[in-house]
Amino acid sequence: MLSLPPIDWLAPKYLNWMLWGVLETLFLSLLVALAATVFGLLLAALRDSRRRVLSLAALAYQTVFRNTPLLVQLLFWYFGASSLLPAQAVEWLNTPRALTLAAGWTLPWPSFEFIAGLFGLSLYSASFIAEEIRAGIRGVPFGQRQAAAALGLSGWQAMRWVILPQALRIALPPLFGQYMNVVKNTSLTMAIGVVELSYTSRQIETETLKTFQAFGVATLFYIAIIVAIELVLQQLRQGRWAPVGVGRR
Amino acid sequence: MNAQLILDNLPTLLWGAYPNGPLGGLALTLLLASLAGLGSALLGVAGGVALTMWQGWPKRLLAALVGFLRAIPVLMLIFWAYFLLPILFGVDIPEIATVVAALALIGGAYLAHGAAAGLAAVGRGQWQAGLSLGLSRWQTLRLIALPQALRMMLPSFVNQWVALIKDTSLAYIVGVSELTYVATQLNNRTLVYPTEVFLFVGLMYFLLCSSLQLAAAHWSRRLRVA
Repeated sequence: MLSLPPIDWLAPKYLNWMLWGVLETLFLSLLVALAATVFGLLLAALRDSRRRVLSLAALAYQTVFRNTPLLVQLLFWYFGASSLLPAQAVEWLNTPRALTLAAGWTLPWPSFEFIAGLFGLSLYSASFIAEEIRAGIRGVPFGQRQAAAALGLSGWQAMRWVILPQALRIALPPLFGQYMNVVKNTSLTMAIGVVELSYTSRQIETETLKTFQAFGVATLFYIAIIVAIELVLQQLRQGRWAPVGVGRR
Repeated sequence: MNAQLILDNLPTLLWGAYPNGPLGGLALTLLLASLAGLGSALLGVAGGVALTMWQGWPKRLLAALVGFLRAIPVLMLIFWAYFLLPILFGVDIPEIATVVAALALIGGAYLAHGAAAGLAAVGRGQWQAGLSLGLSRWQTLRLIALPQALRMMLPSFVNQWVALIKDTSLAYIVGVSELTYVATQLNNRTLVYPTEVFLFVGLMYFLLCSSLQLAAAHWSRRLRVA
């Protein structure tokens, strides 16, 4: 009979570490996705602004942030913060404290590494997300704009009630592609010491020398997160976020 | 601003210890990017063709592999290549080779996905026209579909190569002394001018990426005229 060598699984302690790493990755990704979407909307509005100064400034921002490596940007913010910010601000950011919420819940203050990672990732991702939003806005037929104007809506009202809802529906799949990129990109924050999934797997590898298991589990977690995002997208597209003109009158 | 530090260390940042030691800095970044760029282009076109021409389980298997590579962070694949390739082959593989292999695989997967889409976008009519002229499936691919698809795919190739240039910075994590690694070494040694060091490094990457885009824009204009 064929006998397989026993597989040396990771001890529960390490799986526990890995789970914390996953949570950190998820938490960071969620915050980055939120911040980058808000900032991306603003950038898209600036790019399409009629004032040339504003649109050129937004274009310059995008060109710089898209054409330099995320890793270099993260290192720049992390190491450069101390010379860019006043000393008191750096000290304030580094001081551990807890945010006391209602009903006795406290939220521990995130580490300086986490804040630098969140900041750098959001600025980087926003430059890509803005482009997806702009493409979505361009995808809304011009007649919609005219119809909104004919109904007496102002420019902003037309944007808020007519153009943007359709544009976001069009841009939903590429936007979710960007959110997947955000999750994958959080792995780079390990370089500045954020204890997320990649950092944890590397740490476990160093400690246990179980290379295959450590990277295997981390890889499976990444795939699970990406698949989950894809499923959410499919779910959204079957409901309220259905593509424009499908099943809705 | 302190430009003196950058000027003093310019040779190290640009080409490492070469010629008295191994190549490093910007020159190594360029080398990594060119090798991985070439590899990803070959893998991407081959993968796209295979996804179009194969049927049944080989196609599903390849599609699954491409999906897997697109779902994991580049950093994870670099870890896999760095730690497992030497174990699998039982020989010492230089770090540079493992990084190039990882970057070429990831880039190849993205390009294969794009190439398959490009080949589909050529349209059924082109394929039918080729087949009705008496060409075989492979002849139709080589003479009719691929030349059109490649022209359409040029922008996505350029985007992928820009991403690749940026991703060479990840070689820093496994200690390959390319530009980002040299910069962090310099930063760790001096610790006083991080903004200058990383601004300079960012500028180098920026020049690399944007000159590639400008060259591609120039080239695609000429393609359209021809």
